[in-house]
Formats: sequence, C-alpha cells, structure tokens
Amino acid sequence: MLPLSLLNAAQNKPMLVELKNGETFNGHLVNCDNFMNITLREVYQTNAEGDRFWKLKECYIRGSTIKYLRVPDTLLDAVKDEQSRAREAGRSARGAHVSGAGARGRGAPTRGGRGAVRGGPVRGGRGRGRGA
Amino acid sequence: MASLQGYVDHRVLLILQDGRAIVGVMAGYDQKSNVVLSDSKERVYSMEEGVEEIPLGLYLVKGDQIVLIGELDEALDKAVDLSTVRAEPLPPIRY
Repeated sequence: MLPLSLLNAAQNKPMLVELKNGETFNGHLVNCDNFMNITLREVYQTNAEGDRFWKLKECYIRGSTIKYLRVPDTLLDAVKDEQSRAREAGRSARGAHVSGAGARGRGAPTRGGRGAVRGGPVRGGRGRGRGA
Repeated sequence: MASLQGYVDHRVLLILQDGRAIVGVMAGYDQKSNVVLSDSKERVYSMEEGVEEIPLGLYLVKGDQIVLIGELDEALDKAVDLSTVRAEPLPPIRY
C-alpha cells in the first residue's frame, strides 16, 4: 500500500504531524497533494519542547518540512478494503467484456477493452479508441 | 536494484535522523522510501531504566528522515526482556 494512498484516505480524519524542527500539529486533514503538502483545520500547534501551544483555525504545511504523520489505526483496514474492492470491480468489469468478445471491434469502444486480451491479435490494439 | 518489497508485512526497525527507534509492521512504501508502519511502537533507550515502549499505532514516516530499516527477527526479539536492557539513546544527526 502506498503512503500517499493512505494520506489521501485520511481526508477529514484527525492526524498528528511532526515537523523536522520538532513542532507538532494536531488537526483534521482538509487536503493533501503528491508532495505531501497538507492543509489542516482546527489545529493545535505545539512547540518542539512541548510547553507552548497555539490554536489555529487552519494551516498549510509544506510536505518537505514533515518528519512523520500519525493517523488513525482504522484507516489501514479502510484503505485495504477499498483497494480489494477496486481490484474486484476491475476484474469483473474486464471479465464481462471478455465474455462478450464476439462484439469486439464494432460499436462504441469500451474502456478496458484494449489490452484486455494479452498478446492477442495486434489489429485494432492501439490508437483506435478515440476519434477513430 | 535495492528494494523494500521484501520487508512488506514484516516487523521492521526504523532508525530516524533524530535518533528515534521505531518498530512496526511495514504496510507499504513508495519510490521516495516513505514508509507506512502499522502497530508501531517507539523504543526509548536510557541508562537509568529499562527500554520503554510507547505505542504509536499507524505511522507514515517520510523517507528523507529515515536512516535505516532492518528486518526484525520476531522470535529473537520476543526472547529479549527489554526491561533489563540499558543503553544510551542514539543522538540525533547534526549538520
């Protein structure tokens, strides 16, 4: 499981972020990107010594300054379930298409049709999907 | 090609640049060596008392903070009574 898919699944969940300078931020994840830049809302900031606190309505943290994030334990199962569901859906969608393979090559091209048959006939394999 | 794939679903020891030692099950990683640890615990070493284990739960550690990752021999690790272990904590890396 990719760290970034875990982070994406953590949207609207509470988390603790520690920066490289030791400061910590407790809040709910609003958004994140592939650099691990994040925005949090309803944040409690703590200094590195842990003796001073600030409350922030919202804050943006640059991904490169982060040391680690702590997220709810339940997220791991949620992401794993979601991934296996997605795999299952992909499998059955492809399966349904292959079983109706007689109609292949006519009518609207179905996404996933190309490449569904590995190493199959090359004709129509590439570059016919759009605007053909 | 160096890869972390062999550590996935195994209990590993992470040493961070700030000197922390974290054990946990590697749930995932990516190209930048960012690592997801489940059921993780920090091990705090000191000369005054035995090793203290602090439960941390699900952790996402950024790759640039990681100094080393090692696979833990679970049987061997369980056989060690951490309360009897005295050791200096690792100092953080300083530039």
